Amino acid sequence: MMTAFLIGLGVMCAMVLLMTLVILVCDATIANYGPVQIVINGDKEVTVEGGRPLLSALKDRQIFIPSACGGRGSCGMCKVRILEGAGDPLATELPWLNAQERRDKVRLSCQVKVKRPLRIEIPPELLDVRQYRTTVLRLRDLTYDIREVTLQLAPGDRIDFKAGQFIQFEVPPYALTDDPVYRAYSVSSSPSTHDRVELEMRLVPNGICTTYVHKYLKEGDAVTINGPYGEFHLQDSDREMICVAGGSGMAPIKSILMRLDELKSPRKVRYFFGARTGRDLFLVDEMRALERSLPDFRFIPALSAPEPGSGWQGETGLIPAVLERHVTSVANAEAYLCGSPGLINATVAALKRKGMPEDRIYFDNFG
Amino acid sequence: MAMKETPQMKSARANMRPGKLSLPGFLGDERDLARLLDEDNEAVKRLGLTHAAVAARMRELRDAGAKGLGEFIAVAPHFDVRVDSVRGRMPCPFGERGLYPKTNVTVRNLATGRDITYTDLHIHLVAAHGFYEGRGTPYRLEPADLAAILEIRPANKEETP
Repeated sequence: MMTAFLIGLGVMCAMVLLMTLVILVCDATIANYGPVQIVINGDKEVTVEGGRPLLSALKDRQIFIPSACGGRGSCGMCKVRILEGAGDPLATELPWLNAQERRDKVRLSCQVKVKRPLRIEIPPELLDVRQYRTTVLRLRDLTYDIREVTLQLAPGDRIDFKAGQFIQFEVPPYALTDDPVYRAYSVSSSPSTHDRVELEMRLVPNGICTTYVHKYLKEGDAVTINGPYGEFHLQDSDREMICVAGGSGMAPIKSILMRLDELKSPRKVRYFFGARTGRDLFLVDEMRALERSLPDFRFIPALSAPEPGSGWQGETGLIPAVLERHVTSVANAEAYLCGSPGLINATVAALKRKGMPEDRIYFDNFG
Repeated sequence: MAMKETPQMKSARANMRPGKLSLPGFLGDERDLARLLDEDNEAVKRLGLTHAAVAARMRELRDAGAKGLGEFIAVAPHFDVRVDSVRGRMPCPFGERGLYPKTNVTVRNLATGRDITYTDLHIHLVAAHGFYEGRGTPYRLEPADLAAILEIRPANKEETP
C-alpha cells in the first residue's frame, strides 16, 4: 500500500517537473510573442518586440527609463505603473515596492517581460529623454580623485535640461565589464550650454564607471549618454537659497549657480561645501568669480581636518555645524543638497532644527 | 572534510553568477562555493578569529567613518576612514530578505600604508555566511588582509566558531 502510494507520488512529482521544464524550454526557445503594443500615458502608442524586458523594449523605441544597475533589479530606479497587461510582481521586485506602490501597480520595468499588450504610465518628462552620441572634449583632474569630463554633442545636436538634473553615462565593455552598463551623474554645466555637458566624477574603489573614466577614458573617445532625468533642480522662486554639497555633489550645485548667474538673479545664496583638507577642495576660483558676479552669493568652504601649517583661515568643522553657525533664519529660504546620505541626513536634521519645513528641502541623495 | 552543498547554497551559487545580481558576480574563478566557504573558514580560524569578530570590526570602523559625512575622517589610533555611497542597493545572494545600500567603506591604515574597501553587503556576508567573495572578483576580501589592515586581533574575539 505504502509502496504504491510512494510510486504514485514519485510519478506525479516527475510529471510536474517535466511539464515545468517543457514550459521553461518553450518559453525560452519557441515562444514568439511577436510585436506587442504598449500604450503610454493613455495616448502614445509604441510597438515593441515581445518577450523582452519592458526596460530594454522601451529603450529600443528611444524611451529611456532611468536605471543605475543595467536591468538586474538591484537599483530600484526603473519603476513604472503598469495599469494593464502584467501579472503579479515577481519575487525580485517585492523588496523594492512598498504597500502603496503595490496597490498603485508600480513595477520594476527591468523585471517585467513584455508578453501581451500593456498600458503603462511614466512621468511625462521621460518622453523627452533622448540618447546622445558625444565625444570627450576635455578631461581635467579637479582633485586626486575627482575628474571633470566635458562631452561634446554631435554637430547640430542639442540637449535641454534643468540646472540640477542628471544624465546616464554608458560604459562600453572593457576590462571590468563584458556588457555595456549605465551610471547616473549630475550635469555640472549650465543648462544654457546646449551642445556640451560637463560631469564631475569621483573615483569609487572598484567602481565600473568611475574606474573607466579615471583610468581608461581619453580625450577624443566616443561616449553615449541619455537624459536628462531627475526631480532635483532649481525651483522657480525668489526665496533665499542654502546650498550644501560635498565631493562630486558639487556638480548640480555648480550648474544651479551658473544658471542663477546667467539670470543675474538677485537671490541671496549661501553655498556650504564640505571637504576634509585643502587638497579635497576644488573649483574655488570659479566659486570666487561667481561671488563677484552674483549680487548676493557667498561660497563657504569648510574643512573638517585642515593640514597643520596649511594656513587655512576659512571655516572648520563638519558642514551641518558650520551651517548652523551661519544661518540665522530660514523663514524665507529653501535648500538644495547634494552628497552622501550621511551628509544629506545630517544637513536635513540641522535645517529642520532651524525650522525649515521639509518640503522646502530639495536633495539629490546618492544612496 | 569539505562542506556539502545544501539547496540554499545551490541557489546562492546561481545568484552569484556574473550578471545575475552584480555584473562581475560573486565567485570569480571559484566554482565550488562550499569549498570556498571551507577555505575561508579555515583561514579565519588560523588567524585566531571568528567571522563575527571580523564583521564586528568592519561594522565598528564603518560607524566611526560615517561621522565624516562622506569624506575621510581620522579614527583612532591611526586610521583614515571614508563612508561613501553610490546609487542603488544590493540583495544578499544567499536569499535573505532585505537590500543593502551600496555603501563603500574605505579604510586606510596609516601605520602600514595599506587600505581596503568593503560594503554594507560585505559586512552582512561575513557575519551571516562567512563569505568573503571568490578570488578573481574585484570585491574579494582576503581574511588575512582584513585582519591586518583593520587590526583585528584574537583579543577582539566575540565567540568561538
